Amino acid sequence: MNPENYLYLSSILFVIGAVGVLVRRNAIVVFMCIELMLNASNLAFVSFARLNGNIDGQVVAFFVMVVAAAEVVIGLAIIVTIFRTRRSASVDDPNLLKL
Amino acid sequence: MMPHLADGFTSPTFEYQLLAPMLIVFGGAIVGVLVEAFTPRGPRRTVQVALGLVTLVVAFVVLLAVTRPKLGDLAASGTVAIDGPAVFFQGTILVLALLSFLLFVERGVDSAGDAFTPSGATIPGSASERELVAARVSQTEVWPLALFSVGGMMLFVASNDLLTFFVALEVMSLPLYLLVGLARRRRLLSQEAALKYFLLGSFSSAFLLFGSAFLFGYSGSISFTGIYDSLSSGVGLDPLLLIGTGMVAIGLFFKVGAVPFHSWVPDVYQGAPTPVTAFMAAATKVAAFGAMLRIFYVALGDYDWNWRPMFWVVTILTIVVGSILAITQTDIKRMLAYSSVAQAGFILTGVTAASDSGLSSTMFYLVAYGFATIGAFALVTLVRDGTSEATHLSRWAGLGRRSPIIAAVLSLFLLSFAGIPLTSGFIGKFLVFEAAVNGGATPLVIVGAIFSAVAAFFYVRVIVLMYFSDPPDDAPSLALPGAATTLAVAVCAAGTVALGVVPGPVIDLAQEAAAFIR
Amino acid sequence: MNPIVPILFLGLLAFGFAAFSILAGSLSGPKRYSRVKLDAYECGIEPTPQPIGGGRFPVKYYLTAMLFILFDIEIVFLYPWAVAFDQLAIFGLIEMLLFILTLGVAYAYVWRRGGLEWD
Repeated sequence: MNPENYLYLSSILFVIGAVGVLVRRNAIVVFMCIELMLNASNLAFVSFARLNGNIDGQVVAFFVMVVAAAEVVIGLAIIVTIFRTRRSASVDDPNLLKL
Repeated sequence: MMPHLADGFTSPTFEYQLLAPMLIVFGGAIVGVLVEAFTPRGPRRTVQVALGLVTLVVAFVVLLAVTRPKLGDLAASGTVAIDGPAVFFQGTILVLALLSFLLFVERGVDSAGDAFTPSGATIPGSASERELVAARVSQTEVWPLALFSVGGMMLFVASNDLLTFFVALEVMSLPLYLLVGLARRRRLLSQEAALKYFLLGSFSSAFLLFGSAFLFGYSGSISFTGIYDSLSSGVGLDPLLLIGTGMVAIGLFFKVGAVPFHSWVPDVYQGAPTPVTAFMAAATKVAAFGAMLRIFYVALGDYDWNWRPMFWVVTILTIVVGSILAITQTDIKRMLAYSSVAQAGFILTGVTAASDSGLSSTMFYLVAYGFATIGAFALVTLVRDGTSEATHLSRWAGLGRRSPIIAAVLSLFLLSFAGIPLTSGFIGKFLVFEAAVNGGATPLVIVGAIFSAVAAFFYVRVIVLMYFSDPPDDAPSLALPGAATTLAVAVCAAGTVALGVVPGPVIDLAQEAAAFIR
Repeated sequence: MNPIVPILFLGLLAFGFAAFSILAGSLSGPKRYSRVKLDAYECGIEPTPQPIGGGRFPVKYYLTAMLFILFDIEIVFLYPWAVAFDQLAIFGLIEMLLFILTLGVAYAYVWRRGGLEWD
């Protein structure tokens, strides 16, 4: 199969993630969309590694997975703290900082 | 066929002398985690404070004594470049971090202790929180977190491939997301700021990563040197390259707080504990600009005719929007935040020059800006309403009569931001504008000069408010700064004056250092 | 012998074992259904939304899950090392030991601060 198709797939996934971040209101879902964007980047890296015949892209994918896991932990910690305070995970509810 | 691991594996080389400052900072952070695990609660804070300060000082000394004489080499198999700009930025980050750490230490200005909540995990206003406050417990995890962040910043400005670049960015940012949410006062605001910073920060990191993938796809190499080589041989108008450049730029514009990616700046600066705001505003900005300079001057150095138009637009927008929105602010932390957006625009003017003088002027500006920023935020912690900081501008009226020293020093920092002669800000603005004119960006300089005047208006407005208005009847209390804050403010004030009156040595240092290696 | 045959055989064995277990369980075990048993299988939080402000919020689950993710994902670096273990020789061994040591520091922190205690 043509590896370019994976690039199209990764771009589509990235756009789905980006749109999700912009339109969804639940912090957890927004956060999942960000993870989707990171994974789309991973797919792009691996596809380019295949296209270029260069293994560096696959190495990057490993590191991105670990970084994404660390990000999950930090993100969930912040979201859980907010949820415990406010009993809501909607990004619209926290509004002390609006002008 | 997939490529296979070569049969003969040669161990990568590590130039420990070049990497030592970063290794010391990361090592200090790891020891800090161990201290958290094995030290009883009583002496824990003292140990962490000593460890944090000593680590930074030792790293700075090693940087000057061991790394600097040997600079100009790629280290760790070409993934890290320890050249002039890297060492200059690392030194700047260490000094600014040390000054911010002095603000972290301060327990004198808030009757209950330092600026951080006793435990980030307790629910604001709950009984367990009150219990911990009464016991005067501190959240000592702040120290290792800040050290990890400093280490990430030092790696960020020296990273020479896309992977190191991304990992360093995250090592720098992840601890900051947590630090933002740990304020002692107005905790809901602080938690909200952390959530916003986290969501928008990781959103921009994803853009940066996707852009990196396209740069890798275009060049077939993740090292900046490899990208540069493939650019000089390639056609140059490849869509992969354009997409990659644009998306990496978006990620970095977000980190420096350039318009239109600035919306997080005022919220996060306002919600974060003020010492953390000072740390973020100064050190993070140095790190992000250092990394931006490296990727655009080294990897995309021959491609500047394609990225400069984008920088022009963002620079003008940043200066204009930052200055105008700063005028409308009524909260001093938000005003300083928008001012830092406008300052990012002036720094971008130097980056847009795409020349060695652009590089050295940006380096000087960042040092000047860092000192004034930490000093200004340090003073914000001193003016208090009861327990929390009095950040509304009207509360600052008549401060000149009640505390001439605080008002005078704050005026100094604000005049430096405004670029008034005899302060560091003037020299910085002059240098970046000169570099931009020589680099063919004269229209940018004209916009910059006009909006320097607009920016001067809102800085001077605060000074007028402090000296020529009557203090409110229920005037805020003025905390007596402890030794740590006094020291930090004194160093920042001295730096601001010194860089304005005798800028020669630092300019020479910056010009001498302003050469990237590939 | 065709190399497919053992794989097919293994597949059949697995399928047969699963079918046998379910059948044997339903024939031999006691059948006492309760509301909890008929609920959808999901660990941690209740599958239905809790009343806002009323229900308890099990943060412990998140703590355990986060710790699991962190330590689990680090395995990613052990696999490539395991594959090229012989070629990476002593250099790889030292690097991996340093890596695991660093992780051990994080583990020590979690352990000492009570992150592993369920109650």
